[in-house]
Amino acid sequence: MSEPVIHVFNHNAMATQFQVRIADEEKTYAAQTAQAAFALTDQLESLLSRFRANSDITQIAQLVVGEKLRVSEPVFACLDLARKMEFATRGAFSVTAAALKTQPAKPLWALVQKEFSIRCDSGRLEFDLGAIGKGFALDRMAEVLREWSCPAFLLVAGGSSILAGDAPKETAGWSCGLGEDHSTHRYWLKNESLSGSGLAVKGKHILDPRTGQPARRQNRVWALADSAAESDALSTAAMVLTESEITDVVAKNKMWLVFLNEEKKWRQLGLRPLPPMV
Amino acid sequence: MVKQPITRREFIGASAAAGAGLLLTSCSQESNQPAAGGKTSALSKINIALIGCGAQGQVLLDSLQVIEGIRLVAVVDIWDYNRNSNVARLKKNGFEVKGYENYEDLLAHEKDLQAVVVATPDFWHAPITNACLKAGLHVYCEKMMSNTLDGARSMVKTMRETGKLLQIGHQRRSNPRYIFALNRLIKEAQMCGRLTAAQAQWNRAKTDDLGWPKKTELKPEQLAKYGFKDMHQFRNWRWFKGLGGGPLSDLGAHQIDIFNWWFGKTASSVVASAGADYYQNHDWYDNAMVIYEFSLTGADGKPYTARAFYQVQTTTSAGGGYFEQFMGDEGTIKMSENPSITKIYREDRAKSWDDLVAKNFLSASAVERPAGDADKVDVRETAPLLQYDIPVSFNKKIHQPHLENFFNAIRGTAKLNCPADEAFSSEYIIHKANESVASQKVIAMTKEETEA
Repeated sequence: MSEPVIHVFNHNAMATQFQVRIADEEKTYAAQTAQAAFALTDQLESLLSRFRANSDITQIAQLVVGEKLRVSEPVFACLDLARKMEFATRGAFSVTAAALKTQPAKPLWALVQKEFSIRCDSGRLEFDLGAIGKGFALDRMAEVLREWSCPAFLLVAGGSSILAGDAPKETAGWSCGLGEDHSTHRYWLKNESLSGSGLAVKGKHILDPRTGQPARRQNRVWALADSAAESDALSTAAMVLTESEITDVVAKNKMWLVFLNEEKKWRQLGLRPLPPMV
Repeated sequence: MVKQPITRREFIGASAAAGAGLLLTSCSQESNQPAAGGKTSALSKINIALIGCGAQGQVLLDSLQVIEGIRLVAVVDIWDYNRNSNVARLKKNGFEVKGYENYEDLLAHEKDLQAVVVATPDFWHAPITNACLKAGLHVYCEKMMSNTLDGARSMVKTMRETGKLLQIGHQRRSNPRYIFALNRLIKEAQMCGRLTAAQAQWNRAKTDDLGWPKKTELKPEQLAKYGFKDMHQFRNWRWFKGLGGGPLSDLGAHQIDIFNWWFGKTASSVVASAGADYYQNHDWYDNAMVIYEFSLTGADGKPYTARAFYQVQTTTSAGGGYFEQFMGDEGTIKMSENPSITKIYREDRAKSWDDLVAKNFLSASAVERPAGDADKVDVRETAPLLQYDIPVSFNKKIHQPHLENFFNAIRGTAKLNCPADEAFSSEYIIHKANESVASQKVIAMTKEETEA
């Protein structure tokens, strides 16, 4: 097998670095494709960031109880996914987790499909999409890359979420490791997403939405799923779930797999078949 | 007590109390433009179409999808890739829209339109706007009005002849923070004292030319029909003479318009330097520096000159982002659509701004300590430097208020914040900056020639 030619492009967005890797394509065209994908990332950030004064998420935080706001399609889609992930993880993932720092209870909200709007039912809707927004952006970027006929890609958000497209020619996939650089625990991934969460970089930054306290169940987890939004949210949820809770959660979705690593021993929870090891 | 910026949520709550809403309601922009009035009731939906679904069209679509009281019925784009993907996306988001290749097809088939939003390449603005106005539609047209002064003049003429509304997309003119800063701080409080200078900039990093997905290329005859040499020129029209006006018109137009608006006068001369030094395959220059002179009248009634410097760099993002800064002998306001860049500076010689803080014209980071007696001093913790801010926050998408102003003007409940005849003056001095680059000369401009 000859080494595939892979073009790598970087872009800062959502307070981290996004990377597009494109294989089997001419360089200028690959650069233009990456540029189109990054333009979408910037647009998504302008809608999803709670740090942008004009974002939908900032406007949502200003809603009073009973008030509705029509939101952009990507915001509606992302919140819809977030709601589904909150349900699927039994509340272990929640975009309102951070609101517990300033409010006695999690605010309540509803999506009104026919109006593409969100309604504030109680409290203040202080959403933090940090644990799903980057994955969501990767999924949308992948649509752009496929539109541009660049199916052999690998997308990376901040080193913690990746979304693999088709395998580069004459390869079994994209070599993705769990953990530190040059990890020996590696899989060939294609058309699937892997995300990791842990306390190593940002300390105890993951709050358990069920208690409002920092997560203490796991030190590091990885989640494998079809979409990056799912793997991103699932890995965050798994941080605050017990092992038996994780087992129950992944049993309900056959396309999910969670990796745990304790005392240098790897274990997988879930029914999704393991990808081939490198 | 430190006053916090008034957010929308707080504003809604505060509005329930008598008089509490004065701060924002006083921000409405004044204009001589008559309201449209007419048949459209305040409750009915305004049927609109978007003509041009490129990058700027997308930005406007983001706002159009969340504005109440309008119905987006069609999108127009000569590129089927753009047109079809937008129709599909909008349908997914609950909008029943049709797609058309050009504005002629739109006008031929959509008989229940009240308005169009035009976001095509600049050289199409005048023909499309004129045709739509003549068809009885109100028009919101992106800046620049046109790539030629004749084109821009024709738009004003058609607006007057048809009596229809023509709003130009200088969206800062509807931004509550800009309106507040101008009306309350500059004009009413004269916070800057005598305005002696202004500077503005929009610097951005080098980017590669835009490409297009494989198999989506327009056919050569179709490109020629719509005035483009090839697909590269179509995708990168802003860089080509005859199609767009270069970076001074793309980015500078917004900010040079603020010079005119805030000084309350049109510039009286311009000198500029620029060059196509970096990108070898572009017609327009990559970096430009411009100096305008404004003939103003001081509080003492005496005439004086203020100068305004503008720069746009397309090869480096350094220099602090994009902003417009108005400098006076008592204070300075650095404005930006990005609130984090906005700053207010007080000169030590200025009188106290406590009264402005008390009136909620300004918010302050701390309470100013009384000066005390000159022969005594009290020693304690280090006092933080006082910082001031504009007490108006604004959470909508940045183009939304300007579009809303346009739709409200159609309903007869508002006047346009940037009608074409007012925008023309800014259009004029931007074209003259490009002319100054070409001639390498200072160009004087009379008031009469800057009016349409």
